[in-house]
Order: sequence, then C-alpha cells, then structure tokens
Amino acid sequence: MIPFELARPSSLQEAIALLDPEDPDIRPLGGGTAVMLMMKAGVLRPTRLVSLGGIEPSYAALSVAPNGELHIGGLTRLAALEHSPLVKAGWPVLARTLRTLSNVRVRHVATVGGNLAHADPHMDLPPVLTALGARVTITGPRGERTIAAEDLCTGYYETVLARNELISRVVVPAQAQRPAAYMKVTTRAAHDWPALGVAVVLDMEGDVIRNASVIVGAATDKPTRMAAAEAVLRGARADDATLRRAGEAGAAELDIVGDPHGSASYKKHLLTVYLARAVRLALDQSARKDYA
Amino acid sequence: MTTPDSVQLPERQIGRALNRLESRAKVTGRAEYIHNLVLPRMLYGKIFRSNTAHGRIVDIDVSAARAMEGVFGVYTGEDILRVIPNPYFGPAFHDQPILALDKVRYIGEPVAVVLAEDPHIAEEATHLIIAQYEEMAAVFDEVEAASSSVIVHETLKPAGTFPDLKHLAGRSNTNVALDFQLRRGDVDAAFASADHVFDHTFRTQQVMHTPLEPIVSVAEPEHDSITIHTASQSPSFVRIEMARLLGWQENQVRVRTALLGGGFGAKLYIKLEALVTALALLARRPVKIALTMEEQFFTITKHATTVRIQTAVTNDGRITGRKCEVWWNGGAYADIGPRVTQKSGFTASGPYDIDNVSIDSYAVYTNLPPAGAFRGFGIPQVVWPYESQADIIARALRIDPVQFRRQNILREGRPHATGTPMHDAAIDLVLERVAERMQWNAPFERGAGTLRRGRGIGIGFKALVAPTTSVAMVNLGGDGSCIIYSSTVDMGQGSDTAMALIAGEVLGIAAEKIKVVHPDTDVTPYDMATLGSRSTFHMGHAVRLAAEDALAQMRALAEEYGMSAEGVINAGTLLRKKYGMPAGNIVGTGSFIPSYTSPDHETGQSPNITPNWMVGGCGVEVEVDTDTGHFRLLRFENVVDCGTPINPKVVDSQISGAAIMQLGLSLFERMEFDENGQLRNGSFAEYKIPGIHDIPNNIGRETVDAYQGNGPFGAKGVGESATFGVASAIAEAIEDAVGVRLTSLPLTPEAVYRALCAARNEPLPEE
Repeated sequence: MIPFELARPSSLQEAIALLDPEDPDIRPLGGGTAVMLMMKAGVLRPTRLVSLGGIEPSYAALSVAPNGELHIGGLTRLAALEHSPLVKAGWPVLARTLRTLSNVRVRHVATVGGNLAHADPHMDLPPVLTALGARVTITGPRGERTIAAEDLCTGYYETVLARNELISRVVVPAQAQRPAAYMKVTTRAAHDWPALGVAVVLDMEGDVIRNASVIVGAATDKPTRMAAAEAVLRGARADDATLRRAGEAGAAELDIVGDPHGSASYKKHLLTVYLARAVRLALDQSARKDYA
Repeated sequence: MTTPDSVQLPERQIGRALNRLESRAKVTGRAEYIHNLVLPRMLYGKIFRSNTAHGRIVDIDVSAARAMEGVFGVYTGEDILRVIPNPYFGPAFHDQPILALDKVRYIGEPVAVVLAEDPHIAEEATHLIIAQYEEMAAVFDEVEAASSSVIVHETLKPAGTFPDLKHLAGRSNTNVALDFQLRRGDVDAAFASADHVFDHTFRTQQVMHTPLEPIVSVAEPEHDSITIHTASQSPSFVRIEMARLLGWQENQVRVRTALLGGGFGAKLYIKLEALVTALALLARRPVKIALTMEEQFFTITKHATTVRIQTAVTNDGRITGRKCEVWWNGGAYADIGPRVTQKSGFTASGPYDIDNVSIDSYAVYTNLPPAGAFRGFGIPQVVWPYESQADIIARALRIDPVQFRRQNILREGRPHATGTPMHDAAIDLVLERVAERMQWNAPFERGAGTLRRGRGIGIGFKALVAPTTSVAMVNLGGDGSCIIYSSTVDMGQGSDTAMALIAGEVLGIAAEKIKVVHPDTDVTPYDMATLGSRSTFHMGHAVRLAAEDALAQMRALAEEYGMSAEGVINAGTLLRKKYGMPAGNIVGTGSFIPSYTSPDHETGQSPNITPNWMVGGCGVEVEVDTDTGHFRLLRFENVVDCGTPINPKVVDSQISGAAIMQLGLSLFERMEFDENGQLRNGSFAEYKIPGIHDIPNNIGRETVDAYQGNGPFGAKGVGESATFGVASAIAEAIEDAVGVRLTSLPLTPEAVYRALCAARNEPLPEE
C-alpha cells in the first residue's frame, strides 16, 4: 500500500466533484468494508479516497412515503435497516435477510449504497431488493436519475454507475403482505460467502401464485432473474410437482461455472432444491404472520 | 501476578482450576507480542516470491525496486552468501536456502527481499522486481512423486542431528526423504489365513495453521553478537541453528520470545529467523519481517497424505494382521516432515492389539509449500484411515463399532506394534466414556424424510516424541518470592500457569504469586521446543526438580541455622538469617530427559519407543439433509486421557480448542492448487476456518480418571489429544445416517451429495 489522499467532503455535491469519471484509482469510501479488503489484497491501489462520512445525514435516513414505499438513504448502515421497526413491520424479508448478511461488525459499518455499488455477486441484499422491485436513485454532476435495482449490475463487479456517480437513495415498494423469502446457501463455514442465494417474492390470489419474482445471486456474475422458473410458478399452486418443475426450469436457465463453493452441477442442483424451499418458506412465514 | 494479600494459599496447587496468569494482560491489550515490537532505526522487509513451481533461476532484476524512493536495499540469495556462505537450514535436512539459490522449488518460495523504513514502500517495491526462470517439470502428488523422474532435490542432505536419518546421506535421484519401516510377526501368513481382508485408501488435504499472530521475527545486530526477537516455539533450536549457520558460538546468538498469538506447530525451527539475521548483518540495522496471514500459506503447512491400509480379520472380528503404507506430502523442503513420517508412522496400525503388522511410511518431496509440524504431529492423518476402516470392518461383520474396538484395543501391558508394552494408556477407559456420553446403548432417533441422523465414535493415540530434554531454574529472592526460568513458550496453551502450579506445589507458594520469565536464551536454560504436547511432561518434570532442588537447599539452610526444616519453608526468612538483611538468592536447577530406545532400523522394534501415550476419543451425532448433502453436528463429545489435569480449566479449553480446530480441518479447510502448483484460495475469504456458528451447541469435554505413573504429579500432555478421533467419527456418522462412505477430507456437502447420487446410480456430472 502506498500513501493516498483521504478527502472528507461535507456535501454530496462536493463529494461528486472530488470523484473523477476517468480515474479508477479515485474511489468513494462509504463503510469501507469492501474497499479495505480490496486494498489489502492489492487489487485496489487508490490515489484518493473520498470519504462519505461527513455528508448530510439526510442520506442516511429511513422513512416510509405516503404511498407506502420505503425510502432508504444511500448511506444508511445495514444494521440501521436490520433493526428499524418500520422495516421489521413492513419489509420483514429485508430484516430477516440482514440477520445473516456477513457479520455484526460489517453490518454496523457497511452502507446500503456501498453494498449495491460494489456489485460483488455474492452480496445478499441485491437479489432481495431486485425481487421486491426496488429502484435506485443515482446522483452525479448533472443531477439525479432513477433506475430499477434489477438494471444496476451489468456483470462481475460492474454496474451502470459512472465513476463520479453515487447511489443516493433506494426506494422499495411496499411488501404489502406479499410472501417473500431469501435463502442463503453456504457450503463451507457458516460465515462463508454464499454458494447460492435465492430471493422470491410472490403475488398470491388465494393459494394460486399470480406472479412470482425469483432472483438468484452468488452463483451468477450478477443478480439474475429466473424467468423460466417464474413462468412455471405463474398461475400455479405451490405443490411439490410445480416446485420441482420450477426448480428444474431455474437450473436449466442458470448459466454458471464451478468454483471452490461447488461444481456447476452441484450448484444447479442446490438451486432446484432451494428455489422450492424459498417458495415454501415464503408461504409458511406468510401464513404464520411470522414477520419479524 | 496479583498482590500477595489477595491470594489465599490453597492446600494444593496441582488440580486448581485457575485462570491463566496472563489473562488480564491479554484482555487489556498489555501483553507483549513480538508482532508489536518496534526498535530504533529498524527496517521492514517484504518478501518477493516465486511464481514458478520448479525452475532454474536465470535472472533476478532488482534495479527498479532498488531505485524506488525510500527503499534501503534489495537482497537476493546471492547477497545472503556474503554473510552466511552455506545458507541451508532445517531441523532434519539442511535443504532449505534462506533465499532461493540456483532454482525455485514451489510457487511462493522467497526469492528476494526489499528493506525500507516504511513497510508500505518495501511492499510496493517488491512489485518492481522481475525474475526469470527456466521452467522445469514439477510434481505435486505424494504418491506420484515417490517414483517420479522429476527430482525436487538432487541429493539428500540429512542434518546429522538425528542418528536414524544418517543412512540417507548422499542418496540422490529420489524424492523420498525418509522411508521408515516397521515389521512385526508374519503379516503375509496372517493375510493368507484371514477370514476377511479389507483394503482401503484414504486421503487428507494440505491445510495451514492460521495462528492469530502471523509468523514474525526481528533481528538486532550488535558488536559481535545478534539478538533475535521472534515469535518462535523453539528458541533454543533457533539459537543452535543460527550459531551453526553463522559459524559463531551459541553465546553470540541471543533468542528471545514473548507470548505467542498461537503456534500449532507453525512457529518451530527456522522460519524467518535466518532471513532477518542475514539481512540485519547486511544492512547493519535491525530488521523486522512480519508475514501477512496469507503469506503463511507459503511458509509452513500440514502434510497432505495418502494412506493405504489393509487389514486381516477373523469372522468374529479379531484383527490378525495389518499393512499400512503412508505417503506424506512434504512439499519442497523437509522441515520436520521426516520426524512426522517416523513418529506418527509407527502408530499407523492404531491402538489395537495386532500380532502381525507391517508399516511403510514415506516422507516425499513435492513442488508445493513445505509441510511440517501441525497440532497432532501427523497423528490425525493416520487416525483418519485406521478408525474409518475400523467402522467399515465393523459394518461388514455386523459388529457394533464400540464392541469391535473393545475386542481389539491394546490393554495395559500388551505390546504395541513396536514391541513396547503399553503402560498408563487409558484407551479402554476413553472408549467407554465416549460410549457412555453418547448413550450408545440407548434408543437412537434416526430422523425421517430428508433429514436423517447417524452417529459415530473414534479413538486415537499418540506416542510422546522422544528423546528430548528440558532444563529449568527456580529462583527464590530475599523476600521469598519465586521466579521460574524456563524456555517453554506460552503460545496460548497456558504453560506459564502450569509451571507456576508445579513449582508452587513443591514450594508451598500460590501459583498467582510466582513469576514465569519468558524464553530468552541468554537467561532461560535449554528446552528442546514447545511442541507435541511435551511441555507439561518434560518441562513439568524439570520445574518440579528445580523446585525440589531449591527446597532441599532451604532444608539444609534451615538445619544449619537450627530452624524447622518441616512443612512450608520461607526462603526470605532463611536468607535474612544467613545474610543479616534481605539479600541473596536460592537457585534450584532441574533437568529432565526420559529414557528411550531407538527403534531397530529394519523392523522398527523397540522395547521403549516412548515415555507415554496420549489418548483421545470422540463421538458425534450428525443430521444429514439427503436433498443437498448438507449436514450438521448435533452432538460432539470429546474425551481424553491426560493423566492428572494440572489445571482443569486450561485442560478443558485445550480439549474444546483441539476438537474445534480438527472440526475445521475435517469439514472446510483445504489449500486448493491449480495444475501449475499455484494456490487458488490463498485468502481467508476463500480458505474457511470454523466460526462460532459452526460449533455444535452440544460440545462435551471430559478427562478420564487416570494417572501417568512417570509424569509430574501423574500428568502428561493434552494439547493434541482431542484432534484424533474427530474426522472418522463424522464420516461414520454420515454413513450411519445415509449409507455413504467418504474417504477423503474435507467432508463437504457436495461430496456427500455426490456419494448419495452415485449410490442410487444417478451420478452427478463432474462439472
């Protein structure tokens, strides 16, 4: 590691001005949990880090809008989201996901915006936010733009963000009692990165699935929608045969390679099992009203 | 130490459940570690490493690194020769150069070092070094390497320290660094007349110690001597080996340690000490090298092994013959591997009473990072096959696995495969206590649907490595207070507290009031090393003898001055009487080396192969998810024979610590190499050790009621015993639950699932 400049702007606009769209060695620093790991590994050798610690607290606020949507400031700590009564009551799938996301030390430091912008495919939050239909507001030198969370990541550690753009806000539509679940599957130690993450959000009409959102993380190079699996679930009841077919459809459309977490064939098999388990878990929890 | 007034002297010190003497200093951040040491004018070294598994060094271009602002100097193997002309070190073989010379033998081998006042600059400059190698064919698998034409070392260079390695001198064109053999009875006849013959091959993987404090050394050059501050488990060895390398007297080399943040065998012999010494002599300034956690993967590891085990059994389950072939993947440098090969090799037939035994144990060089001592010193690698096979045999013969072991275990007085009669090894008691804790004969809930339950038990034993020496001094001051001088290194195992309890027992002083001086070869006397669970036995005796010597001197003084020589005597009272003021010392010394007879070279037979046997047993219950192969431990029972527990509190944490460490090695840890010998998972994001959520809720620890007749106060070592039975017990529990048998470590969910698929004839595609 060589010495670098640590800039401490006090406003979002000032922070953006300190970033450089052309220079990969200038990076924003949110919680810094990923930046520090990359620097220690020698993957990132910054000339300047722009600390977001001093900018307006409004970017770390959580609120529910009159239309029922959850507004999460980009600098909100993961632990603030995890423990928020608003989130526990209205978006139980988020609160539950956060409990097993990394560890308590990381959750108290890492920010929601940083978690999304880092675009590490092993992250737990992006598949869940994508399945819930969240939107991401991005602020740059020419103002704001808003995109679907689903469109944020373009590949392995790659996003649509320019180097001088920051995630200022995440908006999550009301879960509105939609059954939802995230299942994190590890194949080594419990604190390992997931080999596979499966997020499902279901629109139910009685016991028929009117619509399903199924997003896979970790096994793929970005959070990936399982469209064929969704098609099998759409209009069906969640019986064993349907869930098995949905899982098989998901595995068939999953384009992955083996890694130290498991071979491609094993991870595909895990998807067939865990896609079904995620749907069942979502329905069971919903039936029990066991939200928190 | 606490204030004297706060300590009530109990009747006895041995057996007190005492917090470690250093616990307060540790939890308040005051404890000394070499990792934190900073000296005036000190330079930091960062290592440039080989990216080629086997190759001739053609050129090392250090010019750009040397030109970088802030760089003090850049050094290669050729520079080392200016201060150490013959720079090859090692405890068993003088095979390892301080920096690579002529050729590199594994990816990660140290090739050059940059020195700078700022470690970040030193690290940055290493990226500017360009090395060219003429690539040579490399060999990685231990069985293949044993007969390969790819030769890692042209000629074997045994160190001469061990008489039973001398026959290897000058041997060339082989990667087999040691071929140990044991022969007892007539194995061929036993197999010819057997009712059943079992033949299996088991494998273990290469792993790393992962001490919390990575390997670190600082060399401080003086006028005609050098001080080496080092996180070492073997300060006495470092002094002797450095004096040899430098051609100096031992008293010109001072080696001191502090507390160690874990060792587990990683910090033995020479690691960074020779390198920092050479650099300090070249730079004429103090030099510190502190490895990163990740660099340790390229420094010292645990042997991967392949073990073929063949067993002859009668219809009623009596083992009549056993053949073991063990290949130890030693990596590119022997380190202590040949000792592991012999000392664990001779136990490879297990704690069983078998008349006909044949063991061949091979230390094999490969082009991988070196392997050496690792908690258990090779024993877990041989328990895994013999206990796995015990379960396989019991299943095949439809005998209960506990009963099968009862029928075959070595009992008091019976000869081990080496011919040494077993004494004070509570193998039977450990087995019975594991079974009782598991409620082995009670009905067992086997689960239903996709969640199936099973259970397994395993036992293992280890011969204390012999012969080794410990020397200690006990010093009583003018006020009667006591200091222990011992070169045993407290690396978290609580040895300071154990030694204080032992001296206190003899002298009638509370352990909390005794000071233990940390190893400093200018101050503390010789000790072979802190390894292999030897300290409680060897240094325990030496400290006991030193305290008894001091006590005898006090009794003599008391008689001389007409005072009572009975009961607890205060040295202060005696010294005031002798000198008329609080002055002087009473110094007791003690040294200990147990008796031992070297095994016969041809047969491995010895009437006295070891001073004692350490015994461990394990029982587990697992629940397996048949849909995915995932499994979890519902119960984890660990029982050891350590003789008298000197400090039950520390013994308890040694049992759980060893068991949990072995759990990680059984389930998760594995150094994965690509086809070029490049480590693929050299980070702790990708090399997983157990975390708190991986530890079963139910983890039982127990010491059996046993007494080691030749031990200090009946004690023997305990640091490794709870590693022995873990892996095979889990594998058996998995088979018990779902009917599939795994023969390679680690036991991953994917391996279980693949075996389930194969068993129902629907194999999962390889990729």
